[in-house]
Amino acid sequence: MSGNKSKWLAVVALGAALWGAAPDMSFAKQRFVIDITSEPSSLDPHKQWNNDSYFVYRNIFDNLITRSDKGEIQPEIATSWKQVSDSVTEFQIRSDVKFHDGRPLTPEDVVFSVMRIIDAKFASPQRGQFNKIIKAEVSGPNLVRLTTDGPYPALLAQLVKLSIVPKHVVEAVGDAAFNLKPVGSGPYAFTEWTKGVAVSLKRHDAYWGRKGPFETAVFRAVRDGATRVANLQAGTADLVTMLDSDLARPLRNAPRAQALTALTERVAYVRLNTSKPPFDNPQVRQAVGLAMDRAGIVEGILGGFDKPLGQMLTPAHAGYAADLPAPGYDVKRAQALVKQAGAAAQAEIELATSPVFDQRVVQAIQQMLTEIGLKVKINMSDMASYLKRAQGGLDAVPQMSFGRWSCACQDADGVLFALLHSSSGWSGYRNPVTDKLLEDARQTLDVAQRNKAYREVSRIVIEQVPLIPLYQSAAIYGASKNLQWTPTPNESLFLNRMTWKP
Amino acid sequence: MTQFLSRRFRQLVLTLLGVVTLIFFLQRLTGDPTYLLVPETATKVDIDALRQALGFDRPLWQQYLSFLGDLLRFDLGNSVVQSQPVTTIIASRLPYTLQLAFGALLVACGIGLPVGVILAMYRTHPLVRPLAALVFAAQSMPTFWSGILLIMIFAVTLGWLPPSSVGGVEHLVLPSIALGLLSMATFARITRTALLDELTRDYVRSARARGAATPYLLRRHLLRNASIPVISVGALEISNLLSGAVIVETVFAWPGLGQLTVEAILARDFMVVQGIVLLGAFVTVMLNLLADLLYSVVDPRIRLDGAGQ
Repeated sequence: MSGNKSKWLAVVALGAALWGAAPDMSFAKQRFVIDITSEPSSLDPHKQWNNDSYFVYRNIFDNLITRSDKGEIQPEIATSWKQVSDSVTEFQIRSDVKFHDGRPLTPEDVVFSVMRIIDAKFASPQRGQFNKIIKAEVSGPNLVRLTTDGPYPALLAQLVKLSIVPKHVVEAVGDAAFNLKPVGSGPYAFTEWTKGVAVSLKRHDAYWGRKGPFETAVFRAVRDGATRVANLQAGTADLVTMLDSDLARPLRNAPRAQALTALTERVAYVRLNTSKPPFDNPQVRQAVGLAMDRAGIVEGILGGFDKPLGQMLTPAHAGYAADLPAPGYDVKRAQALVKQAGAAAQAEIELATSPVFDQRVVQAIQQMLTEIGLKVKINMSDMASYLKRAQGGLDAVPQMSFGRWSCACQDADGVLFALLHSSSGWSGYRNPVTDKLLEDARQTLDVAQRNKAYREVSRIVIEQVPLIPLYQSAAIYGASKNLQWTPTPNESLFLNRMTWKP
Repeated sequence: MTQFLSRRFRQLVLTLLGVVTLIFFLQRLTGDPTYLLVPETATKVDIDALRQALGFDRPLWQQYLSFLGDLLRFDLGNSVVQSQPVTTIIASRLPYTLQLAFGALLVACGIGLPVGVILAMYRTHPLVRPLAALVFAAQSMPTFWSGILLIMIFAVTLGWLPPSSVGGVEHLVLPSIALGLLSMATFARITRTALLDELTRDYVRSARARGAATPYLLRRHLLRNASIPVISVGALEISNLLSGAVIVETVFAWPGLGQLTVEAILARDFMVVQGIVLLGAFVTVMLNLLADLLYSVVDPRIRLDGAGQ
């Protein structure tokens, strides 16, 4: 009996092996396979925002405006826009755009999309990014007016993330069904979502703009990074996302694959709570800043993909001040400052973080601080608990925390206001001067004046050290050697900006 | 029999109620998923508004009662992350979990049972020791390592099998092996012990004295009598295979419940976690029941509604 069984098993195994022996090489590049980490949480662009969802649905939908590969804001559904008054902006809408069901995209769809995402009842997690908009209306043929509750300089930066959904479809099928079977106007149309496995798209041949190079595209959920790389090497995936430096290094001299990287708008930083000892003493804060070996972290731990950073803004942000000097690295001086601070600096300090962030960096920070005479204890908690404390206001914010900041808007307001202004739960800093600067910058539409204000805030941060920016994070992708594509700072994955060289 | 089943049914309901109550409150001890859903720039007002819209601002007892109410109508609620009914999400993943568990069981039994028989029947043969060592080595390999090893050898280097994801039967081979190797040694060990136990029984000695050949003996008596412990361990192993496949599923991008569980826990997607735990508890209880029923099939002396229980 057992003999028969194992013979049968061997036949099954052999048959299966032969069947699988020919991976789909013959299909040239009609079918492009992208391995992402998890399946999209939602394909409705007004629901959950996260990388994996965005990678997929941004190809299905057009946004009101977009960013070029270099990061400049440029037209997409809106061809031009002008400031009617301090709080009113008027957008000219393209008239040659068709949804995947053949119906034209109208200004009413734009208005509907804005009103949908700011509707409290719809409960979009993204609502906070758009609820400065209080009114959207059609103001003429192919014209849409947006009214904000005051001057709002970050409006365009936020609208880059606003996808236009078809009013007639959403109203006909309802929100739940639309999420499962989205209809957009983007370069790729939705075909199938095999839950837990993959989302398939096909090229929208009537697309108004640059068309996609692949007939179909499949986004598969592959959680393990090593497996994504194996898929790339075996030729079953053409592009894989979210690699770390350890996984990317072997790709540098792989025969079929390459590593593509972009510096993102994510900033790894240490935040000090200036209301809690020992960081109520500016000298101890300066000591922490001086102890950070940014080049050591980037080169020694992160494989050189990321970039040391001296301010909380990256060159990808509006408000970045290129002329600010980089903060110094001076262990001796840091040690002296800690000694001067006396007994207060001798107590144990909590460094709060979450497993989501790079633990090698967390340990390096602990080591660097031990070297200057501080006693640091790492306190790791799950992301939800970390976030709750991290934005719980002055009393809840830990003495010291390590994280990565991303406003997904590439604008100084989304970084500095949230992390420093006294009205924000994230802030561990109280300074009327920076508060005033941040408020003024939020209310002026004058670009030069804004930049000046943000430059001053960044300068004060370097001097007063409430925040210690460490490095600009890199997004690392693995790709087939045949793929030509420039990844962007805002981590979009536009299929129609790719080319394939067989 | 009816009496036995109705008692088991009452136990089932109580167990399930206990399990869902426990998981309901355990999850909520440390807050809710709102912070994970919003972008970092969301203000406290934004966060509170979303929390209210999702219903997490209500007192716990209210949330619990409405959960139980929904449960009575077989409604497990909606995933807050995916905005879809939990039943739909779980139903789409369950077939993959079953396929993998079946494949792994095939590997585990297909290799484990014959090996166990060999280990017991030929225990003096010089090749038996190395065989035993091999089986236990296969069990000792951590799956995140053996999985990647299998992928590198059979998919990347040899190109015989697809490295990951789902598709035809060929996609099932590597994950089944990686997962099956874990249970294989358990099956081998239990089979061996049970057989050795039977071999010392009087009826075996008598049969041998009558001149019965070993293969006949094995087929007619030994395997059947030795199968009771194998069945009870088998039931436990199946629930292990169903629930313990998290790492294998992750390595092979297999869209089963294991991966879903981990994702849901990390995202604090309470409703999904509750649904999975409920299903897991149900399956475990049912498998135990099935094992008890099987005992009486292979050994009619075991009666289910006897006073002995």
